[in-house]
Amino acid sequence: MKNILTVVKKEFARFFRDRRLVIGTLLLPAVLIFALYSLLGSVFYEEDEHYTARVVHPSALFAALAGAAQGAEGEAGEEAAPLFALQEAAEADIPAAKEAVLAGECDLLIVFPENFDALLAGGVLPAPAAEASSALSAPATGAAPGAAETPASETPASETPASETPAAPNVEIWYDSGSSSSVAAYNAAYSLLDGLEDSLSGLFDVNMSAGGSLVSQAEAEASYYAMLLPFLILTFLYSGCMGLAPESVAGEKERGTIATLLVTPIRRGELVVGKIVSLAALSTLSAVSSFVGTFLAMPQMMGGSIGQTIAAYSVWEYLALFAVMVSAVLLIVTLISMVSSYARSVKEATSLAVPLMVVVMLVGISTMLFTVPSAAHAVFLIPLYNCVQVMAEIFSLRFSPVNLLITLASNLVYIALLVWLLTKMFQSERVIFNR
Amino acid sequence: MREIIRAENVRKTFTLSRKQRKLEKNPSGRKVALGGLSFTAYEGEIYGLLGPNGAGKTTMLRILATLIRADEGDAFVNGHSVAREADKVRSSIGFLTSELKLEDFFTPDYLIGFFGRLHGMREDVLAARKAELFSRFGIGEFAEVKVGDLSTGMKQKVSIAVSILHDPPVIIFDEPTNGLDVLTAKTVTDFLLEEKARGKSIVLSTHIFSLVEKLCDRVGVIIGGRMAAEGTLAEVSGTKPLEDAFFDLYAEAVRE
Ligand SMILES: Nc1ncnc2c1ncn2[C@@H]1O[C@H](COP(=O)(O)OP(=O)(O)OP(=O)(O)O)[C@@H](O)[C@H]1O
Ligand SMILES: [Mg+2]
Repeated sequence: MKNILTVVKKEFARFFRDRRLVIGTLLLPAVLIFALYSLLGSVFYEEDEHYTARVVHPSALFAALAGAAQGAEGEAGEEAAPLFALQEAAEADIPAAKEAVLAGECDLLIVFPENFDALLAGGVLPAPAAEASSALSAPATGAAPGAAETPASETPASETPASETPAAPNVEIWYDSGSSSSVAAYNAAYSLLDGLEDSLSGLFDVNMSAGGSLVSQAEAEASYYAMLLPFLILTFLYSGCMGLAPESVAGEKERGTIATLLVTPIRRGELVVGKIVSLAALSTLSAVSSFVGTFLAMPQMMGGSIGQTIAAYSVWEYLALFAVMVSAVLLIVTLISMVSSYARSVKEATSLAVPLMVVVMLVGISTMLFTVPSAAHAVFLIPLYNCVQVMAEIFSLRFSPVNLLITLASNLVYIALLVWLLTKMFQSERVIFNR
Repeated sequence: MREIIRAENVRKTFTLSRKQRKLEKNPSGRKVALGGLSFTAYEGEIYGLLGPNGAGKTTMLRILATLIRADEGDAFVNGHSVAREADKVRSSIGFLTSELKLEDFFTPDYLIGFFGRLHGMREDVLAARKAELFSRFGIGEFAEVKVGDLSTGMKQKVSIAVSILHDPPVIIFDEPTNGLDVLTAKTVTDFLLEEKARGKSIVLSTHIFSLVEKLCDRVGVIIGGRMAAEGTLAEVSGTKPLEDAFFDLYAEAVRE
């Protein structure tokens, strides 16, 4: 026991006294991941974007909605710019407006049917004469279902117009699928109109400003995290370990420093446990660094409201998560250490660990492909895969203590088995002295 | 006199890797390093294993140090079997060979502390021993320099200090003066004589005749993994110089 501590202390000293190692494994991941994700985030999610659209037969209702959408996002008290800057265009200008969209001068061309607002207010298939001035008095809840056939089938291609259903009035949205801001503007306009359609069909009340109640939003985000985070966690843990274990095990073997330890009275098992414990702790630190980077970049990535989601989990769920991560990192560290003690050199160890990494990453993305029914307890006996599935359960707020226990207990058995095997390897002269 | 080390009919065969097979032009892939080696060293003496390259000296000493296992036969160190009581053997010996390296990243000061703790030394005993070894080998001057930045001679001094840190009764050194200049080599041989004077038992391997003549009380000549001759210097070399006696033994061994 004392010897294990001595080895752990030495491994920590080796790590923390080496500025290059500390910067490379603790600082760089956070900085790089933050930079990368922020960059990706700013490409995919343009938070401050305001779109310009040319509108034929402008709809006052739509204009009001576009303003309301912005009002919801902007801070109270500040005069927020509207989401869409709308420019009126004549029917004759449509070809020119399309050119403008393609040239990037504006993001969208929206063609409303003539007297769109009136159509909505008046009900089904209005007569051209229905020029009710009450159009602005927001969609009354009693509006006839199916009154406005808003863009059900806008085409993805930039040059084909939406299918024109002769019966219902149709809104055409023209956009440039090659321009990300045009696509984003299309999505925004589409969702506004889609919401409008829904509200008119009586499915929802008119409540366009907020995205629904708080709980459902947290749940939606939780299921998103359940898909993504187990993969990220596994990848971060693995890469943290990849940076340390081959050097610490194969490196010591290659340089002949492990033999110096083996002639002291320390037991092979103590040496193995000391190495595993310190490597697991350091890999976890490295993974934490990657996480800090990820979390700092999250707001940019997803439009920022992770605070709510983080608060949605209880202390128990965090503890469970921690336990699962510890068992995952121990499994990974023992696996890579075994590969490393088998290898003749650090180089060989790293190249042998790559196929293993592919397997681990495939296991990691399994949550994106499918989730296991919580009742299928036997699945939680599969090492690593069980970690991923339990983490997915925890993140999606439907975690089952039985599955957690099966996972932790079975992993404990696997880890003990692997440590025993690793000790056998350390005892074998063919493993330790093969060059 | 009490036996301190006894090797009984030790055999060791290595299976060569594919690369080694090509290098050594040995298609069978098996290399007999020790073909039934026996010898005895007594308490308080310096015993020399003398033999040409590839004779099996290092292999024998590694077996004594419990780093590798004999295929057949056994050896006893300070009364403990290397096969069955490896732990006790390890705490009885100080083992030095060129393959045992110190981590480049650490300083001699740190390493002495680290290995002292692994040997279970009390902190006050360790501190006293550290001071003693530092002054004995002049390590104090570079105690805070990383091992990677030390010269070969300095490294060897630190390696020796680490190997005998726990003050073991038996010292096993494999070619301890290899690659050292005459000054550092003298530090090593002086040290071994001092330890002998302190009552320690020493086994060393070498292919240098003068070293055997200067240090050893008894000598075993290994050729091709077998003991060709064993005894006091006088018994082995007779009236001839040791070198000539060795050539005779070698010619005889090759003939067989
Ligand atoms: N791990 C190993 N794998 C394969 N062959 C080995 C191994 N270790 C030693 N040998 C072989 O066993 C024989 C004896 O080697 P050993 O190192 O004991 O010789 P030595 O007397 O120490 O020689 P030297 O003076 O060169 O150090 C040699 O032929 C060597 O090639
Ligand atoms: Mg040798």
